[in-house]
Amino acid sequence: MNWLIDFFGDPVNWSGPDGIPARLLEHLEFAGLSLLLAMLIALPLGLLIGHTGRGALLVVSIANAARALPTLGLLVLIVLLMGVGTILPVLIPLVALAVPPILVNTYEGIRGVDPDLRDAAYGMGLRGRQVLGRVLVPVALPLILLGLRLAAIQVVATATVAAYVGLGGLGRFIIDGLATKNFPSTIGGAVLVALLALLVQLGFTLVQRATVSPGVSERQTIR
Amino acid sequence: MITFNGVTKRYADGTVAVDNLSLEVPTGEITVFVGPSGCGKTTSLRMINRMIDATEGQILLDGVDVKTIDPPTLRRGIGYVIQQAGLFPHRKIVDNVATVPLLLGWEKKKARDRAMELLERVGLDLKMADRYPFQLSGGQQQRVGVARALAADPPVLLMDEPFSAVDPIVRTSLQEELLRLQAELNKTIVFVTHDIDEAVKLGDRVAVLRVGGHLAQLDDPATLLARPADDFVREFLGRDRGIRRLSFLSAEGVRLRTDLLVPVATEAGAASTSARATGEPWLAVVDAGNRPLGWVAVKDLPESGTLAELEFAPYGTFVSGRDSLRGALDATLLSPSGNAVAVDGEGRAVGVATREALDEALAEVAGGVGGAVRGSGSVSVGGSDGSAEGKGGVGGSAGSVGGSGGPVRGTGSVAGSSGSMGDAGDAGE
Repeated sequence: MNWLIDFFGDPVNWSGPDGIPARLLEHLEFAGLSLLLAMLIALPLGLLIGHTGRGALLVVSIANAARALPTLGLLVLIVLLMGVGTILPVLIPLVALAVPPILVNTYEGIRGVDPDLRDAAYGMGLRGRQVLGRVLVPVALPLILLGLRLAAIQVVATATVAAYVGLGGLGRFIIDGLATKNFPSTIGGAVLVALLALLVQLGFTLVQRATVSPGVSERQTIR
Repeated sequence: MITFNGVTKRYADGTVAVDNLSLEVPTGEITVFVGPSGCGKTTSLRMINRMIDATEGQILLDGVDVKTIDPPTLRRGIGYVIQQAGLFPHRKIVDNVATVPLLLGWEKKKARDRAMELLERVGLDLKMADRYPFQLSGGQQQRVGVARALAADPPVLLMDEPFSAVDPIVRTSLQEELLRLQAELNKTIVFVTHDIDEAVKLGDRVAVLRVGGHLAQLDDPATLLARPADDFVREFLGRDRGIRRLSFLSAEGVRLRTDLLVPVATEAGAASTSARATGEPWLAVVDAGNRPLGWVAVKDLPESGTLAELEFAPYGTFVSGRDSLRGALDATLLSPSGNAVAVDGEGRAVGVATREALDEALAEVAGGVGGAVRGSGSVSVGGSDGSAEGKGGVGGSAGSVGGSGGPVRGTGSVAGSSGSMGDAGDAGE
């Protein structure tokens, strides 16, 4: 507890390029950019294969295999190949981390919609894209948001690895603290990361409440 | 009118779901496709709105080959109702019903007003409009499904086992609702079911399909019950064909006697005298408004007083000109007199159908079955399921019918009625 007071009570930690605000911004930048890129890749792909059923096995297999990639190893490898001039070496492993949960949940969500519902939608004269946009996505939204939330939390937690290769983010408090045996810094950094993850969780809960139809969320199963 | 012209559906693996089907679905009528699992009835239905495309042959909608119409455009002009209703769970009931009108580009307010009108029409409380599908029972959801299909007022309605997933009581009320709606709307309806009772109840015409997608018989229900084309149809129709067929024959032609009706104010002595003139053992007593009160046995008539002091035996009625022969027959079984009271639409007695008169009518019916009948066999009427038929005009005044223990004594046999009553039981799924 004292360590936390030491860390958060020290005015030095609240200003300058090594301060909490600057590090937090860097962390949000890494995490936010990675998540955005991952969404741009995984959402359309997940919707497409979920809706058409084509290429599902291949894409989902690759996505699941990608989950086994060690983020830190990938980061080090990319730094060795590209150097550390940009934040790209951090973004690539984080995107690779975020794509699988978004892709798999989007695909499963769309595919899992009750076939009767799909049938009724086509039978009433909706076109393929209307069926997807007006029926399948709203009904699958809880699962799609779950995938996004899992990805976001993972990315926020894992963006700490940027510090390993000398880039910024909240990881610096942890890594640097460990290196210099400055335990208040390590603990303080860990607490900040945990708080950020909780905030992300809360944010998604609010988004879910605002976007998922009560007609869908009241029901536990998907149909 | 929908015309099937040598329509075949063959899948890539060689399975033939529908084989060279040719038939016509007349405008403004309910045509039922019925048959066991795998007979191609649903496939046939889905080929009409191109949810499935036929491999060979043509389906014409008022003379236009459906294959020439872009599927979504085609489907917006055809109502479609499926078994599990298939309502959009994320949309309120009213928005579900307004789906097709909005697709067709109606203004939002107009589509909404139309949706509300239809909810009312299918018998739903308007409070339901702002609920979500999961808050409704299965039967209510199915009503919404029907309202949604009717929303853009399409001339054709396709119904794929719409009432199969609800309990029997709800199913009966949905069936009656559909018949009521159809009497107002006169849609061209194709209705798929595996339940032959539902088929003969709803269909103006019934197409019986056999496994492999062959048409076994297409006829109106009365003809179907009287003259099944072959053993498959006979077995599929199940038992009690003779009795069930009576539901489709009007009791209008039954000879009625007015001399057996006596006002309740009549002196017992006078009633006794006139009764002897009729030669009948029972008289039907009616009140001042001509409404039936019950039967008195002539032998029990006292010397003095009016009929009002007597206790009346229970009676059964049928509505003359509206009820079927089955209703009339049923009414005779509910009274110890063995006779039925014919009433008009307001419940006023217009005459008495005696057992003899009914026997004459039934003999005529049996004669009408004609040469298609194999074997003979007489059907005993009394013990059948005669009493609990929904539309039989039974007991105008509440409580006058029940408990009359004795009514099934007269087991008149219907001479020469159809033979070989398919004891195989229901061949349904």
